[in-house]
Amino acid sequence: MSDGSLRNGREPDDDAADRSASSTVTSTETNPEPTAGPEASDFSGSDLVVGYPGLETPVIDCESVAVPPDAVTALIGPNGSGKSTLLKGLANKISPDDGTVLLDGRTIEEFGSKELARTLGLLSQENAVPSGVSVVDLVERGRYPHTGFFDSPDESDLAAVDEAIQLAGIDHLRDRDVDSLSGGQKQLVWIAMALAQETDVLLLDEPTTFLDPHHQLEVMEIVETLRDRGGITVVLVLHDINQAARYADHVVALKDGSVYARGDPGEVITRETLATVFEIDVDVVETQHGTQVIPLDPLHDDHPA
Amino acid sequence: MGRVLDRLAALRAAGTDWYATSKLALIVVGSVAVLLGSTILQVSFGAYPLTLGEAWQTVFDAEILFNPEIWRWTFLGADVPEWLTRQQVIVWNLRLPRILVGAIVGANLAVSGALFQIITRNELASPYILGVSDGAGLVVLLTLTTFYGLMPFLPIFAAVGGALAFLLVYAIAWKNGTSPVRLVLAGVVVGTVFGSVQRALFFFIDDLGVAMSAQAWLSGTLMNAGWEEVRIALPFTVLAMALAFAVTQELDVLLLGEDRADSLGMPVEKMRFAIAGIGVLSTAAAIAVAGLIGFVGLIVPHMVRNIVGSESKLLLAGCLFLGPALLVSADVGARLALSPVQLPVGVITGIVGGPYFLYLMRKKTNLGEL
Repeated sequence: MSDGSLRNGREPDDDAADRSASSTVTSTETNPEPTAGPEASDFSGSDLVVGYPGLETPVIDCESVAVPPDAVTALIGPNGSGKSTLLKGLANKISPDDGTVLLDGRTIEEFGSKELARTLGLLSQENAVPSGVSVVDLVERGRYPHTGFFDSPDESDLAAVDEAIQLAGIDHLRDRDVDSLSGGQKQLVWIAMALAQETDVLLLDEPTTFLDPHHQLEVMEIVETLRDRGGITVVLVLHDINQAARYADHVVALKDGSVYARGDPGEVITRETLATVFEIDVDVVETQHGTQVIPLDPLHDDHPA
Repeated sequence: MGRVLDRLAALRAAGTDWYATSKLALIVVGSVAVLLGSTILQVSFGAYPLTLGEAWQTVFDAEILFNPEIWRWTFLGADVPEWLTRQQVIVWNLRLPRILVGAIVGANLAVSGALFQIITRNELASPYILGVSDGAGLVVLLTLTTFYGLMPFLPIFAAVGGALAFLLVYAIAWKNGTSPVRLVLAGVVVGTVFGSVQRALFFFIDDLGVAMSAQAWLSGTLMNAGWEEVRIALPFTVLAMALAFAVTQELDVLLLGEDRADSLGMPVEKMRFAIAGIGVLSTAAAIAVAGLIGFVGLIVPHMVRNIVGSESKLLLAGCLFLGPALLVSADVGARLALSPVQLPVGVITGIVGGPYFLYLMRKKTNLGEL
């Protein structure tokens, strides 16, 4: 519980500049071996087998995923393709049956629980909202991994909370009861809480699903800001292919628990790939707003495209 | 400019803090007032009646309050000082300890209720939800029917029985870890079986007096509360309260759900077990001296949460005051309502608690979720 020794572990916000320098090194087909060196927040999983207790066949079967540091990676794929499972496996929320996840050159099991939470943050789809708690108090709970057992929040915690609230654009809501917010606003609060955690790696599980267009754009704007500021590796599961095309530096397309394609958005988001992965017929057009994917028809087995 | 903004932010933060604290202050002041009122009523009425003024004077008599001999007697179990007048003996030896035990039990039930509601994330959880009451009840019945000679150890047996039942519930609920729902269901399983055995044991009681005391114990009563009970319960209570207030940060995080708590680096299973352990310790201290008093642990956290919100520090602090106020005032009713017949205080809390829940049911649409 008390973890005085852990607190001296890796503090986030080490040296963002170093990390951005290394981002160019990692190409789309990185090998999962960690590139030794302190500069980048290396994050990769190799030969992962992830399943749920009680299921006979694993959801993710022997996959390797290397996430380019200091960039935004989008996981796309149809329902049941294992996107969320892969994310949970990478975050060690489900222990992989086989394979290893490496974070900063160490296997993820080596991290203490609070130490891991200072390095890697995961925002799941479902979050419970306690009643009668203000936005700022809720965001402050994101500082939990940074506070020791008997500590109360100090200056640096409050500064991190303020920054997260600013970044999430919810300053006008800070004293509101979280109960009274809309679903979209709540999602922004959850993201602010994950930001207050000040991790090097941030995993977001379908952060835009169920949100109205305005709040979807708000969420993606936060992701864009994070990408521009650098110093953080973001992995997010997206259902909206257009969002992946627009905001991601790197796209991983999953089908039936394995990686079907990976690379720059331009390489992955193509008519052929999407036909196989999502079984849809699309038109990919270049517009003044970047690449746009226009879904046309579902493809059925009996008449392939 | 930045400085001005900082100042504004600080002021605003202080403002919200003050608002939350003022609501807590409302509970504290209200509870202390109710507690004082109940104390005076409880002290003055009875077979040896005092006027309200006399009651006040005897309770707040500086000569007694600050006398080391009195302290040795009450807290260390020395003999009753001989220089006390009859009136002082009645107040200090009979009526005051009952109030004190009531306050201790109320605080324990309310705080442990809040703890159990948080770990099961269920507003309808009570201190007895994880089998504690059924384990304790079974042991009490066993003692009364088969091991009557061991009666003096009844409080300790009851607490141990409750703790064992809690461990059994945990073992049943465990399957690759627990979950709030599994824990509650396991509590129901253990409760059903133990409850049946308990009722069966009633048929083996021949003596009406024993049956009555068993019944009084199961409904919870402060009738026999004296300084001995204060001495039994107080150390465990202080320990449990200190532990509960030490983990408020953990409680806040746990309230966000398992996934979120886990992502924030909390070992959820260990923490939940540890907090449940604190809750059981606290509940056991209450059961040991007062039996199974229902509803207090259920409604007090509820009332406090409605006023101060679910921030754990405020919630526990509110429970610490409102619990004693509610239980002690209910005990006034239990002792004086049908005088000279005394009712178990658990009967009164049930009679008051039921309608309060009915009111909640009507008022809130999604009662139960936390």
